[in-house]
Amino acid sequence: MNSAPPARGLPGAWDPDRPPGIGRRGLLRYGTASAAALLAAGPLTGCASPARAGEASALKVWDLFQGGDGMLMDEMIAAVSRGAEGFDVDRTILDWGPSYYTKLAMSAAGGRASDVAVLHLSRLAGYAPGGLLDPLDLDLLAEFGVGEKDFAPAVWKRAQHRDTVYAIPLDVHPFIVFYDKDAADEAGLLDPSGHLAPMGSPEAFLDAGKKLAEVTGKSGVLFGHVTDTAQSWRQFAALYAQTGASFTLPDGGPPKIDIDAAVKVVTFMKQLFDGRTNPNNLDYNGAMAAFMDGRGGMIMAGEWELPTFRKSGIEHLGAAPFPQVFERPAVYADSHSFVLPHQDHPDLARRREAHRYIAEIVKQSLTWASAGHIPAYLPVQAGPEYAKLDPQSSYAAAGEIAVLDPPNWFAGAGGNFQNRMCQPLQSALLGNTSAEKAVRQMVREADTLLRRPNPVA
Amino acid sequence: MSTTAPAGTAAPPQQPPSTTPAAPRRRRSLTRGGGLFVLPFLVLFALFLVWPVVQGLWMSLTDASLSLRDTEFVGFANYTEAFGDPDVWSSLGNTVFFTVISCVPLVLVALAMALLVHSGLAGQWVWRLAYFAPYLLPVTVVTLIWTWLYQPDIGLGNQLLTSLGMEPVGWLSDESVAMWSVAALTVWWTVGFNFLLYLAALQSLPVTYDEAAALDGAGAWRRLWSVTLPQLRHTTVLVAMLQVLASLKVFDQIYILTKGGPNGSTRPILEYVYDVGFTGYRLGYASAVSYIFFAIVIVVSVMQLRLFRQEG
Repeated sequence: MNSAPPARGLPGAWDPDRPPGIGRRGLLRYGTASAAALLAAGPLTGCASPARAGEASALKVWDLFQGGDGMLMDEMIAAVSRGAEGFDVDRTILDWGPSYYTKLAMSAAGGRASDVAVLHLSRLAGYAPGGLLDPLDLDLLAEFGVGEKDFAPAVWKRAQHRDTVYAIPLDVHPFIVFYDKDAADEAGLLDPSGHLAPMGSPEAFLDAGKKLAEVTGKSGVLFGHVTDTAQSWRQFAALYAQTGASFTLPDGGPPKIDIDAAVKVVTFMKQLFDGRTNPNNLDYNGAMAAFMDGRGGMIMAGEWELPTFRKSGIEHLGAAPFPQVFERPAVYADSHSFVLPHQDHPDLARRREAHRYIAEIVKQSLTWASAGHIPAYLPVQAGPEYAKLDPQSSYAAAGEIAVLDPPNWFAGAGGNFQNRMCQPLQSALLGNTSAEKAVRQMVREADTLLRRPNPVA
Repeated sequence: MSTTAPAGTAAPPQQPPSTTPAAPRRRRSLTRGGGLFVLPFLVLFALFLVWPVVQGLWMSLTDASLSLRDTEFVGFANYTEAFGDPDVWSSLGNTVFFTVISCVPLVLVALAMALLVHSGLAGQWVWRLAYFAPYLLPVTVVTLIWTWLYQPDIGLGNQLLTSLGMEPVGWLSDESVAMWSVAALTVWWTVGFNFLLYLAALQSLPVTYDEAAALDGAGAWRRLWSVTLPQLRHTTVLVAMLQVLASLKVFDQIYILTKGGPNGSTRPILEYVYDVGFTGYRLGYASAVSYIFFAIVIVVSVMQLRLFRQEG
């Protein structure tokens, strides 16, 4: 079909009544035929090309890293792709957020997922129990030089479901504080080595906010939470964990939460962000802009904002783990980790490659650390090169006291739970409701989610 | 949808007198030539609209989810759960509330704008462009602009209020204000389209009635009430119907602006469906909720149609 028409010599020659040249019908006919020929030829030449053949065996990787993180991931992939043993990686970057997790679940449910994918450890409980992830082979990983000993116990524990390992963490990304070293110095908040001195008590933190506000002439501590679906929860979770109380979400409910501790935390948050020394009504971008403008001495934010603050030209930027104000140290965190999304018919050789890839890429996490993330792979974290990174190394300890979302299918990054917890907390911070009422609503919301049938069990 | 409707109404309603004898021939040509032209659309329509609608209905009777476990038929359990789910009712209430507070200004403001422009101001194109331009912006751009305007600390809204000596407002953080803020954004963004419909209608009105009324000594207000507005009735019906349907399916600007907060006060029913289905993985339940909403939309549309027909 694709060869006949063009071979016939002059179009229109076989119809003596027609004027020479291509008529409307002729154009349509030949046009269609040539288009068909092109279409038919496409895949054939494709098959013959070596590039195409290579792509078929390329390791398919899904992740959610865009912007600066995305470029660093590119760098790391380039590093592991060099040499004879290098990988051939087919990387797909998807938009981070709830939609990423929907797509990941759908691809795994379809049984034809990518070879490797990135998952927040806090989401593991929504994926591993439902069979959406395949377990990792620890022997294989050990062969490539990665094992349990290379990760902090708190993080390693969360990478498991029923004592089976489903994820290898790449980083720990805690919720921390950034501060302007000059302002903090003037406010007398630095220790002799020039780092933020420990707070130790709620009163000390309140006092620090006042002092910072005096120095900046505007605000002390900044925190953007209005209309945000995670920020208030991150702050609450950090402070709540510091009280030593636990928050668990057993299937079927009710949630186990220490009401008194929770009320104590929310009361403190309300005091801290009273709207005078520390504004209580900022949204995420507003708080970021205010800090970069020098209208506040400290900001509570994720460490992933480090590149943004760097670019803004803050001269002496400091960073520290989330200050301890209650009984024990704790920071809220999550962890980007590598998982094997479920495949119905995994190819053993590819699976082996996937394990090798994960092992090789976590060893590259010094590059990853330049964006602010704490490498989960301890040999890199303990190395001299990482110690040189400032201010990253000043909050590396956060990885050991990391507290993640309570595990349940709906909790974790980009999930409904965080959003639902943020709503009452926002009301409390804005002064629209009391700490007691906010906590009661949080319990109610958690209970509602727990009572729903678990769709992934 | 909204772009095709005005074209349909703009067509002259009168049928040419030759229709009756020509009818059989026209029908035959439709089945032979026309059918082929419509076929691609019909296939896509069946594949991407009819089939999902049928499958969604089936799904709403199962406990389908995004996991590997088998799907089971659960009958009307999802519907029973939905009727007892306070979040369904509150988000449905939000949708209705938004529809009411957005539709009224979207019709009235559009009419006022069209009348102003039609009154013969100099520099017509400037006004037309100014009124219609926001409609051309994508939803993300609009919400980004307004997020900054509504910014509690440095936003233009609160800057204006405080410079006038008033208290700042929690545009997106105050439960009693947030939905109004969303409605204001929506009016600014989409009123241009209704304005255009009204302007087109005004420009096609015969001037003779107006002139006759003027000759009879009717003032400008009298002519507006008794001559112009009655002639705009069909346009108003069209605008109101399109607007109610558009407002009922509100989702995107709210999702970007407030994610349904504060405290679920701006969460429309479609966002709840999205939350339950896509972040909550409960496809069966989400389908049931959307079918309930689908039924409501149909009831509203039929009622509206009846209402306007009676008046006509």
